Amino acid sequence: MKCSMFKSFSLLLLGAAVSFSSCQQGASKSGTTDSTATASKETVKIGVLHSLSGTMAISEVSLKDAVQMAVDEINAKGGVLGKQIEPVIVDPASDWDLFAEKAKELLIDKKVSAVFGCWTSVSRKSVLPVFEQNNGLLFYPVQYEGEECSNSVIYTGATPNQQLIPAAEYLMSEKGGGYKKFYLLGTDYVFPRTANKILKAYLLSKGIPKENIVEEYTPFHHQDYQTIISKIKRFAADGKACILSTINGDSNVPFYKEFANQGLSAATCPIMAFSVAEDELRSMDTEFLVGHLAAWNYFQSNDLPENKKFVEDFKAFCAKKGLPGGDKRVTDDPICWAYTGVYLWAKAAEKAGSFEVSKVRNALYSLEFDSPDGLVKMDPRNHHLAKPVVIGEIKPDGQFDIIWKSAGLVDPQPWSPLTSPDKDCDWVNHNGTYAKK
Amino acid sequence: MRHFLRPGWILLFLLCSLRGRSQDSASIYVNQILQPSADSVRTNAIHRLVALRDPSTFPLLMAINDKKLYLLDNKAVTTDSKPSGDGNYRLYTVYPTYQLLQNSSGQPLLLPPGKLTAVDIPRADRLALVGIAPLLNLFSNDVQKRMLAYSQVGNLQDQSTLQLVAAAVNRETDENVQRIGREALYAARLYAAKDETNAKVYIDSIALNWSDNAATLLTSYSKEKAFSPAAGSYALAKASRLEKKYDNLQRIQNLFSGLSLGSILILIALGLSIVYGLAGIINMAHGEFMMIGAYTTYCMQLVFGHQAGDWFYVAALPLSFISAGIMGLILERLVIRHLYSKPLESLLATWGISLILVQTARLIFGDLTAVKTPQLLAGGWQVAPHLTLPYNRIFIIVLTLVMVLLTYLMLFKTKLGLQIRAVTQNRQMSACLGVETRQVAALTFFIGSGLAGLAGCAITLIGNVVPDMGQTYIVDSFLVVVTGGVGKLAGTIVSGLGIGFFTKISEAFFQAVYGKVFILLFIMLFMQYKPKGLFPDKGRIAEE
Amino acid sequence: MKTNNKPLYYILFVAIFAILLPAAYLSGLLSINTISIWGRYFCFAIAALGIDLIWGYTGILSMCQAFFFCLGSYGIAMHLVLQKTSLPDFMAWNKITELPFFWQPFHNAGVTFALCLIIPALFAFFIGYVLFRSRIRGVYMAIITQALTLAMWLLFLRNETNLGGTNGLTDFKTLLGFDLSSAQVKLSLYLVSFAVLCLAYIACHRITRSKFGKVLQAIRDSESRVSFTAYKTANFKLAVFVLAALLAAVGGMLYLPQTGIITPGRMDVKASVEMVMWVALGGRGNLKGAVIGALLVNFLYSLCTSWFPDSWLFILGFLFVLTVLYFDKGLIGLVATVRQRIPGLHFKTSQTTNRYVADSK
Repeated sequence: MKCSMFKSFSLLLLGAAVSFSSCQQGASKSGTTDSTATASKETVKIGVLHSLSGTMAISEVSLKDAVQMAVDEINAKGGVLGKQIEPVIVDPASDWDLFAEKAKELLIDKKVSAVFGCWTSVSRKSVLPVFEQNNGLLFYPVQYEGEECSNSVIYTGATPNQQLIPAAEYLMSEKGGGYKKFYLLGTDYVFPRTANKILKAYLLSKGIPKENIVEEYTPFHHQDYQTIISKIKRFAADGKACILSTINGDSNVPFYKEFANQGLSAATCPIMAFSVAEDELRSMDTEFLVGHLAAWNYFQSNDLPENKKFVEDFKAFCAKKGLPGGDKRVTDDPICWAYTGVYLWAKAAEKAGSFEVSKVRNALYSLEFDSPDGLVKMDPRNHHLAKPVVIGEIKPDGQFDIIWKSAGLVDPQPWSPLTSPDKDCDWVNHNGTYAKK
Repeated sequence: MRHFLRPGWILLFLLCSLRGRSQDSASIYVNQILQPSADSVRTNAIHRLVALRDPSTFPLLMAINDKKLYLLDNKAVTTDSKPSGDGNYRLYTVYPTYQLLQNSSGQPLLLPPGKLTAVDIPRADRLALVGIAPLLNLFSNDVQKRMLAYSQVGNLQDQSTLQLVAAAVNRETDENVQRIGREALYAARLYAAKDETNAKVYIDSIALNWSDNAATLLTSYSKEKAFSPAAGSYALAKASRLEKKYDNLQRIQNLFSGLSLGSILILIALGLSIVYGLAGIINMAHGEFMMIGAYTTYCMQLVFGHQAGDWFYVAALPLSFISAGIMGLILERLVIRHLYSKPLESLLATWGISLILVQTARLIFGDLTAVKTPQLLAGGWQVAPHLTLPYNRIFIIVLTLVMVLLTYLMLFKTKLGLQIRAVTQNRQMSACLGVETRQVAALTFFIGSGLAGLAGCAITLIGNVVPDMGQTYIVDSFLVVVTGGVGKLAGTIVSGLGIGFFTKISEAFFQAVYGKVFILLFIMLFMQYKPKGLFPDKGRIAEE
Repeated sequence: MKTNNKPLYYILFVAIFAILLPAAYLSGLLSINTISIWGRYFCFAIAALGIDLIWGYTGILSMCQAFFFCLGSYGIAMHLVLQKTSLPDFMAWNKITELPFFWQPFHNAGVTFALCLIIPALFAFFIGYVLFRSRIRGVYMAIITQALTLAMWLLFLRNETNLGGTNGLTDFKTLLGFDLSSAQVKLSLYLVSFAVLCLAYIACHRITRSKFGKVLQAIRDSESRVSFTAYKTANFKLAVFVLAALLAAVGGMLYLPQTGIITPGRMDVKASVEMVMWVALGGRGNLKGAVIGALLVNFLYSLCTSWFPDSWLFILGFLFVLTVLYFDKGLIGLVATVRQRIPGLHFKTSQTTNRYVADSK
């Protein structure tokens, strides 16, 4: 008796399975016709793999918008190699296992030429084997911890030396305040851990004594910073201390609020943040953050004409598409690099005359591009981007006052010479990461 | 006449210039800065002023340094660092005197920055001020900057610097800053002292003055700069005594943190506990009612705008209670009344509801948002020189106290409370005795959800407002309820405070995460002895 | 339970997943990706069987099944990582030069498989012993096990735990010498998962019909009465708790090579509630319900995240609420009701099946 009931479910399940597979199949079929019969349908597919729901949606949705805008711009100019770009957008829902599943779907079933996506390092690590096994190409736009150099990932975000070291250097300089004590505070995951390891090595090498460097981590979504702030208060009593913060996401507001309420301020003990950008500040109460610092490669307040146009275009794009926030939207570092990534890919494809991953990858070496942040250049030996470093001071409107800018482009170092002096990454003369002599 | 006067003029001029040369040349340079004929003239003028170190020019230099130099009717003025309400700033003249500008009726003149012409000083010129900035900051009108300046003025053995510092300390009005300033002076004298008695006097003064930095200062003196071992060990002894005193204060601070965390937990768990006790509902969406309260506060801030000051928060307190309560009432009518006394099912259904509410909030509000802390609750109460209790946390503790008291009165002094307790004990029997159990249940749910909303409103003071903020607290607050004994007011309070204190005390020894793990293991062991919580029901109702 | 068991429908179920789907792949209709995805669903279904045993049949709501699932996954993952390198890269980055002691046994495949079962079983035994001894039940049980999962989640997130922190363990190459990226291996893993699911189903089916199973259901319906008749209920509960943990761990073990990553995210609050949801949705107290619930919810999840990125949470949320409100026997129960209402479809329904007495507090 139960079995007849069971039958209907089996049937239902079968139907679902077939419909699922057939829809996937249909997609993958159209994908193949695309890549083979170029003349019939003038499109080329790219994948967009950013979380649109779940905890990371807050940050990642903007990157999806930036990619979409770059695609629209390129398409309006006639596309790449005469083909229009067709973005395939999926939602990995801030679920790390789902990232791998969706990456497989994009590469195997949808047969996209390149994927633009990921924010957290765990999501990147999750899709990495998928891209390596299926010969995919991922453009990863967020600053990251380094110590990785995959042939399948184009890292358009900063490596540690393009963000951390200049910031620490600035704080130690006379102009930056000449700080002598450093409190390294972060959320407990791989980026803060690695970042602080490099920072610590750097500070020690600059003669900062060990007892003047404190390292501390809090769990994700930590809300109660009372104890830590009172530790900091004591640490910073002589006015020679600053904080290097890799605190992530929603822990920032409670942290800055408690900081101000216990009587500390940017004047007595500035916080240099590596994970706070304009997009996070957009609708936050910035009262407690004003005067604190952040280090990135790009700020919206950059007054290059290219950037002014980019900012205006982005606002117009969001308003036109009816995206939440409309023309109140702001740009920031990851948005800039997500946008730049699409252009780099398009330019490389033009240069290579093909969408084939290996050819595009080879064309990317030493490729230059006039990004919103000025001229940037791909490394000649690996998949990272050389770009300027900027330090900004938070203003009440959530924008940054640029107070320091590197002279020229800073070359990427995926392996920090401070922590891994024997390693380097080279995909031209070596097979990726190799041991230096 | 002319012949006679001419040398006199010259003499007079010479005399004047001898007596007040710096004054005169300073005013010339000031003019050159405000109306330069060429960029190089201004650069030169700034460098000259820096070299002069004339305190009367400090306000002007400070204004340049802070990028707050404006022209108003050809007078150089500067503004406060923060607006004094309505986005208008108070104005001060900068040279030759530093004065608050008043309008005709004697009130401070208030103007928005837009009405002022900024004097644009290039960044390169501003950099010339870096060396002198700490000295400038001694006279800043920003307390924080003054406080910092003393640690940065550099070598106090230099007489002119020392005089400036002493002058600054004398005119200092803020107690904390004065303490730091005095310490800088004492320290300078201590370093210069060459005999034991003198050194001891200054060591004592530093210890008595007791700034945050005193212990570190004395320790480093004993290690590096002490001229005799006796003075060194004397300083060290003083330092360790200060450390001890400081540790004691730290303990008080920790206790306060525990109290504050505990009261937040109580505030959240209060509603949860009542609802669970009465209706047997595990409300996984309780955290989302909190989120609704927080968003109500956020909306109030938007509605009132920036002009209204703190009033938005006053309005948000009752409104967050009501909006969350109404939401709770709707849910009770639609969903939860079908689930009375089915705790495990209710867990699943309310989890579904919480998913829906979170996603709705995400669609409406989207981003990470945060509520402005009301001005009244910003900052902290300085109980002792080294013990600051933030006002926002004090407020939450007081709010919790009031709510606990009101809940107590409601439960034990009103008819509704009597009915709630009756239904909690035995639903059927109460119904038989004429209690409108459905109405009572609905009202209880309204109150429980409302309390959660109020908790959300309170939490905006310390944290941010995100759609899934409720899920951060939900497991913790359930633990409070379970440890305290379900539906027991006293249990909730004791266990909330207990967990709060325990967490904060363990955090002082371990890192935050281990503190949390430790708590959970402790609760598990505790349940071995009190499987029904701290205050279990006794007698026949304790049976299934 | 079942009086008139028609094997035809089981055969149909097996035929679809054991023959039809692989055949569709081999003939090129389906991609290996789809096969792999279904393989993962089977792993969830295996864990769901355990949840059904402990919740549906014994009435104990355990929220730490996700933790046991992760223990299984992590065990295999540690072995796979050690296959590749002698020292995991994240340890090298954290300046650890020597493999921590608890990683050592995972060099050996046999020991790994054994440990993947023994560790969750031991954990379950310890937790169960402590909790059941003090007669913690109902809501208390649910909340304490949830808190425990939360604590473990926090521990696993730590980098000091040396299990990869938030990033978890990833980037595996081979399992027992087979290349994990090859389609054949993926297909075989799919088939193995399916076989294990069938075996687990049969085993659970036997258990529920045995005397042991009857005692479990009696405990669910009235624990005090069972204990009055001189049964040591705590021992029975402990046994089924360990059994459920083992099933979850087996699911986790098979899940890992097919997904290629395990992170603490698999056992956060959301994940642990969702696991219970599968069973609730399918129909608890009914093994078929658990399997169907797990397959269906995960299938919907995959589908909705592609199709309705904005609203899939609504769909899921409403599904949960409606299930609990209107068909608390889950989909299986719903089908039975529909069948009774529509005369044409009306067959004899055995009244004894699936009776569920709500466990009051």
